[in-house]
Amino acid sequence: MAALPSEAATPSVPIAAAVMAEEPARSRRGWVHSLDLYIPAGVLVLLLLACFVWPLVYKLPPPVGGSILDASLPLGSPGHILGTDSVGNDIMSRLLYGGRVSFEVMFAVQGIGLVVGGFIGVAAASFSGLAEATVMRVLDVLIAFPAIVIALAIVDGLGAGEADIIWALAVVSIPTFARVARSGAVRVRDQTFVVAARLSGSKRWRTNLRHVLPNILPQLITFAVLGAAIVVILEATISFFGYGIPPPGPSWGNMIAAGQQVMSNEPALLLVPSIVLLVTVVALNTLSEALRARWGVVR
Amino acid sequence: MTTLNGSDAASGVAPLGIGGVATTETTGRPTGEKVLLEVRNLVQEFQIRNFGGVKGGVLQAVSNVSFEMRAGETLGVVGETGSGKSTLARSVIQAPPPKSGQVLFEGVDLVKLGRRQVAPLRRHLQMVFQDPYGSLDPKWRVNDIVAEPLVAYKDGDRAQRRARVAELLELVGLDPNIHGRRRPGQLSGGQAQRVAIARAIALNPQLVICDEAVSSLDVLVQAQVLNLFEKLRGELGLSYLFIAHDLALVKQVSDRVMVMYLGKLCEVGPSEAIYREPLHPYTLALLRSIPDPDPEVDQVNMREVISGELPSPIHPPSGCRFRTRCPRAQERCITEVPELQMLRKDHLVACHFPLPSSAEVAPGGGAPTAPAWTPGMTQGVER
Repeated sequence: MAALPSEAATPSVPIAAAVMAEEPARSRRGWVHSLDLYIPAGVLVLLLLACFVWPLVYKLPPPVGGSILDASLPLGSPGHILGTDSVGNDIMSRLLYGGRVSFEVMFAVQGIGLVVGGFIGVAAASFSGLAEATVMRVLDVLIAFPAIVIALAIVDGLGAGEADIIWALAVVSIPTFARVARSGAVRVRDQTFVVAARLSGSKRWRTNLRHVLPNILPQLITFAVLGAAIVVILEATISFFGYGIPPPGPSWGNMIAAGQQVMSNEPALLLVPSIVLLVTVVALNTLSEALRARWGVVR
Repeated sequence: MTTLNGSDAASGVAPLGIGGVATTETTGRPTGEKVLLEVRNLVQEFQIRNFGGVKGGVLQAVSNVSFEMRAGETLGVVGETGSGKSTLARSVIQAPPPKSGQVLFEGVDLVKLGRRQVAPLRRHLQMVFQDPYGSLDPKWRVNDIVAEPLVAYKDGDRAQRRARVAELLELVGLDPNIHGRRRPGQLSGGQAQRVAIARAIALNPQLVICDEAVSSLDVLVQAQVLNLFEKLRGELGLSYLFIAHDLALVKQVSDRVMVMYLGKLCEVGPSEAIYREPLHPYTLALLRSIPDPDPEVDQVNMREVISGELPSPIHPPSGCRFRTRCPRAQERCITEVPELQMLRKDHLVACHFPLPSSAEVAPGGGAPTAPAWTPGMTQGVER
């Protein structure tokens, strides 16, 4: 059959296009477009593995209790790949164990925030009226305070230590989650399928758990990742000011503080933890952006 | 098949029941038929809040509506957007409850009961919504969606529920193995609406309210879903409150039709009577606005189309709310609110100057030059 001129001009991808059009939109664009998700996710996974798994596999020098004879070794020294600090502790090992603290605090605080804040937000939205308004105003007051001020005040009262940092930052994190959860729940509660679920006989708590929550979860998770970056910075700040992990325990924050004091002599002491902190925060932010791009428009 | 209520009670003005509603005693209908739903003086209003929460006017969505439904019948509710028909449906199921009035479902006033006590009664009173996708949780699977009422009312164990879900899906024309595991996003509009219907009938309700249930579907799919409604009515003995804005559609489906305008009932009667002999000018205008394949008929119809726009429901016109657009409006219509009166057997109108039957010639202005309605103007398939 003679081909029409227009047919001859079209590229021969119609079949592939037809096949691809059948597939869900996600996979149509190939892995290149998913890089914005995979790269930061990959970086974070690497960091997590390095901090939590690597010390179990490879024998690192201890992060504390180093010999003064090894003090202030430069980068690339044998046995101390990143050098040592002024009392002889291996920096690489301090970095990794300090990273454990940062990530543990990050997961714990965001986990508590997600669960408690999410619960408060969804409950407030489902009760509506005066109760909802009151709760939200109280939370607004807490959000209005600069996070670091509240966190430092609490840690000052509770004392130094990882658990105390977690509680302090949780107080800051919960109201923000509650606000996000509530706004999402308000949007979902007026949708027809929630009305239909109530009409089918589901009680209020059941509707919240099985209908409202799954539909706001993408927003909450995106927000959780974004907040994680802030939590990491807050934890480092608290430790920087000396309210965090008491020395000689390692934490990126107090490593930066110590490094700051000897900045001119041994810049590595300051730069190494700072750069790692930077990479972590940027990875978390980028990951959050990628998630928002994917889940941003919730029906 | 449209049925007229077979009873040879005398036509003409009959004594009125409560609130102007013709009750079983007054209409002469066979008293064996059970009244399933009786709505008395229903009022639903919404407080308008301006920016900052400042109270604006009050939107009167449903004003003093009374009607009754019998078991096994399909009652159609027709009106423009803004006539209050959807609000009426929501008020009947108490979501949200009306400001005042009574909703007697099998004799029990739902308005008086608190939320907790209404819940067990809800299983007899279900609803199918307009947006097929909106009424289904996008993250749930079809099997779970249809099973939700069963789970909520703790009907049977898991195996029994699964069997019941499969049975329901087959009843509405879906394949449980293929469609059961899908999510709403993977269904077509008609399929999604079938799922909503399956969910609605899961608990064997007595009354199903269809709030524009087919309005957002393609015409062919509409016909299929309407056939499904009819089949379910026969097999399960359901009653329907069928709300739509398409008059021709409602005729196909309903035994009786209610016409609403701006929150008030204009006319209630058997669907054939409404179509052959509309008594309210608004009903006539709605009928005339149905497009006809014959362009000459359309021209005749268009001459009598009503002008103007729907008045604001916050400040409805005094007296008869339709008077601002009615070609027959006169002094009395401004001052006096028309009440529902029975002018023919089983056929009530709220109008001071109802249309004459086609045999008579109307004195005064506004007499239509074409017959009120002829069978040739029917849209859609005759049943």
